[in-house]
Amino acid sequence: MNTSATFAFVALGVTATLSGLGVILFRNAVYSALSLILNLFSLALFFLLLNALFLAVVQVLIYTGAIMVLFLFVVTMLAPEAQETEQRDPIRWQKGAAAGLGVILAGGLSYILFSSVISPAARASTANSLSKMIDQFGSIQAFGMGLFHGFLFPFEVTSILLVVAIIGALVLGRRASKD
Amino acid sequence: MPPDQPTGYLIVSAVLFTIGVVGVLVRRNPLIMFMSIELMLNAVNLSFMTFAHYLDSVDGWIFVFLVLTVAAAEVVVGLAIIVSIFRARRNIDIDELDSMKG
Repeated sequence: MNTSATFAFVALGVTATLSGLGVILFRNAVYSALSLILNLFSLALFFLLLNALFLAVVQVLIYTGAIMVLFLFVVTMLAPEAQETEQRDPIRWQKGAAAGLGVILAGGLSYILFSSVISPAARASTANSLSKMIDQFGSIQAFGMGLFHGFLFPFEVTSILLVVAIIGALVLGRRASKD
Repeated sequence: MPPDQPTGYLIVSAVLFTIGVVGVLVRRNPLIMFMSIELMLNAVNLSFMTFAHYLDSVDGWIFVFLVLTVAAAEVVVGLAIIVSIFRARRNIDIDELDSMKG
């Protein structure tokens, strides 16, 4: 791996970790939302490093462009009342215990990752090799062929899921009518 | 371009997932808890994309796409719930919402 790719990976890893810490550590919810936007954007750049153009663009468009805008709407609507939370914790040792257990969890996962390798035999057969499809057709077509040739039924089910979510949000958002 | 073993990417994914878990457990503002859940989902997305690259299969991409769609639907409904709770009580501290406590 050449030095520019290493540098890009290290810079993105540091950005993603620091903005993730910013999400959970800021008192102000708007700063947390902006930290999450930075984190999602650095994840999109990770996807670019992994040779997936289409999904990097989809991540920016949908996650940072639509979902986080919705979050910011609700955060700025509820922000003044939300400042009064987080003043005092009912369990005083909660934050220290959470940080310690978090370090244990991350350490355990990292230990498993350090002590295992992916064998070359696990790679997909050359018939549906992803890198070949990207080289030949481009990433959008490779993604489309995978989605519509193997995952057509889940794709149709997600349309039902989205309709259900929209109806649910409309019902929940309606004010109670005065009879 | 990426190295021949996915260890670095998976460690970033594990660290982000752990940060999300700690955020859900410690914070009491439901909006920040929700953002920590999104952080966890994105850490898993990074893991799927890494394996899609290293196992040379498009299935990882499809899973990321489906996780993205389900996360969008979940955010819509979850934020609608938070807004309606706020409308009813003017208070969104999670520890105060214990009227169903046994």
